[in-house]
Amino acid sequence: MEDFAPQKNAWSWEIKAESFWFRWQLPQLWSYRHLLLRIVRRDFLIHHQQTLLGPLWIIFQPMIILVTYLLIFERAVGLSTDGLSPTLFYLSGIILWTLFSECFTGTAFTFIQNGTLFGKVYFPRLIIPLSVVLVNLIRFGIQFSIFFLMLLALEPSRIIDNPLRWITCLFLSLVVVSGLGLGLGLVFSIFTAKYRDLVNVIHLIVRLLMFATPVIYPLSIVNPDVRIWVNLNPLCSLVELFRFGFLGEGTFTELQLLYSAACAVMLILAGTLLFNKFGNKLQDVI
Amino acid sequence: MGEPIIKVENLSKRYSLGHVGTGSFRQDLKRWWLSAIGKKEDPFFMDTLDSDASHIWALRDVSFEVKQGEVFGIIGRNGAGKSTLLKILSNIIRPTHGTIRGRGRINSLLEIGTGFHDELSGRENIYLNGYFLGMQRHEIRKKFDEIVEFSGVSKFLDTPVKRYSSGMYMRLAFAVAAHLEPDILIVDEVLAVGDAEFQKKCLGKMHDVSSKQGRTILYVSHNLPSVTNLCQRAMHLQNGKMIDIGIASRVVNQYLSKHQKKLHMQRWDDIAVAPGNNFIRMNFVELIPHLKNDDDPIDIRTPFTVKFKFWNLIPEQNICVGLHLFTLGRECIFDINSTPQEYSKGLVEGQCYIPGNFLNDGSYYFSLIFVKDTSVELFYFEECLSMEVEDYRVNMNWYGKWSGYVRPKFPFRMRQIAAEKEAVEGA
Repeated sequence: MEDFAPQKNAWSWEIKAESFWFRWQLPQLWSYRHLLLRIVRRDFLIHHQQTLLGPLWIIFQPMIILVTYLLIFERAVGLSTDGLSPTLFYLSGIILWTLFSECFTGTAFTFIQNGTLFGKVYFPRLIIPLSVVLVNLIRFGIQFSIFFLMLLALEPSRIIDNPLRWITCLFLSLVVVSGLGLGLGLVFSIFTAKYRDLVNVIHLIVRLLMFATPVIYPLSIVNPDVRIWVNLNPLCSLVELFRFGFLGEGTFTELQLLYSAACAVMLILAGTLLFNKFGNKLQDVI
Repeated sequence: MGEPIIKVENLSKRYSLGHVGTGSFRQDLKRWWLSAIGKKEDPFFMDTLDSDASHIWALRDVSFEVKQGEVFGIIGRNGAGKSTLLKILSNIIRPTHGTIRGRGRINSLLEIGTGFHDELSGRENIYLNGYFLGMQRHEIRKKFDEIVEFSGVSKFLDTPVKRYSSGMYMRLAFAVAAHLEPDILIVDEVLAVGDAEFQKKCLGKMHDVSSKQGRTILYVSHNLPSVTNLCQRAMHLQNGKMIDIGIASRVVNQYLSKHQKKLHMQRWDDIAVAPGNNFIRMNFVELIPHLKNDDDPIDIRTPFTVKFKFWNLIPEQNICVGLHLFTLGRECIFDINSTPQEYSKGLVEGQCYIPGNFLNDGSYYFSLIFVKDTSVELFYFEECLSMEVEDYRVNMNWYGKWSGYVRPKFPFRMRQIAAEKEAVEGA
């Protein structure tokens, strides 16, 4: 629905056959902000209703993964952690990776999961993926505070000595990682609605991409010949940046960071354009 | 009322049939390959991909206007395109061709309880549902108490709605919807659910919204009396095309006479297949209206005769035939009986004359009952004939639905017994 300037006796909106690539409708999106917050609230409430541990699961999940990684990759395999504390090394990777993968998989199925809702009521469809990102940012916040407390207990000097560095690194990696997850998810959401095969592909992508991202290994141990290929993955430099901010070790260049940020911007742009153009038409095929 | 608030022009919606879903990626690739790379016309593929059979027009060139403050009904059978039209108006799907222009805020109620989540409390769901329906925060806050009171579930406000009875759930969902304040409200068949009490509440609220608050409503329903009662104007959709638009009661009647079966004659020459049993077999039933011109419709003034013939299969059977007249709502209007009499085995004929100026306008059907010895039912032939009686009035300024099942012209006399001055003095 397009809003025209309010004129007397004039039509105030129009519905046409054409859909447009560029139609941001930011004012409309803003007017639905309370819906966005309610959906976020709903997601938290329903996730933790009737569970024994409730919201504690947000913390338990990365902790269990952490213990597994410590047992397998540190004890059994003996993988290098750049000379850093293995606990903090793995945990930093895990929480950042979780943020990306949850943002991506959460938004990639927007149309499939909300098909019936979309068929019954109009609201800006972007609200749903945005709510997913917001939920995961809050979860990340909770997980991060645990990481932060552990860091404070184990290596307090890293936080106290250079606060500006870790705040900048945290902010940058957070924005770009969630942006990548959202952008990639938006693009995929259009295609998953039409081609259901992609549902399986997405789970495969997430699983394989984790191994191409320095979550369980530092980039420094990767063979320099292969490293250029690994760096094509925009998430790579971000995980390294995050580790650099908090643990003092990380392998990345400014150019790589710029590349990651550019990837995120491009994906979000492409995703929202596709969303604008095809969002309404998809209702016919779901 | 007067100014148009919605203007729909040449609206069409095409749906593709079949092969959507798995394998469509291959199909799309194939199509793209053929058109972009191949450029050659493979008749086999061309046929399957582009033939008209692979599409359906859910709406075709529909144009109409709805005026401010009007309640506008949309009627039609299942699959006529009503829901598609509402979905396009609600901005849920896009039309294939055509435009809709409108003024003011539009809210649609394609179902009640959209976005309700079972695990959440009534309170949470009021907010969630309200926001989904496009309400603003201050609106919901202002009306929250009113909504709770209207729904009557205040005691269970903090209980998850999955513990609600279905009635409570429905009342809560409707309470939120009832407090929407759009300029244009789109309502689809929400009355199909719920009990009579609930439906009454819904209709009452809709009536309030339209008459007291002066809002425009677009209303789709299978409940035709509600369309006649609530709507000023209506539109009849058939196979995606608009075939009638105008005063609601007229459009509804036309729709009824088009779709209700009009059965004026039935005949069975073969006794073996005729309806009946070992006692009675039907041979013939006919309803003969006594009209000046055969093409005239039956209206409230028309007298008619019901004729029937049947085979009596038992010798010397004492038979009495009852002629029942029913409304479409299965209310019996009369039950006329023949004099009980003994008949020999063979064909028996009967007829009954029903005078004009007796029935009210509406749809009716006849049933015949065959009774032995005035006590034992031999055969009941239900709905053997049916007809529509049209309205007819002269010198009237009112065109609402005339109440009652019958509309007889009994002697009714009035006269003035005193002029004003005299009456006052007398008191």
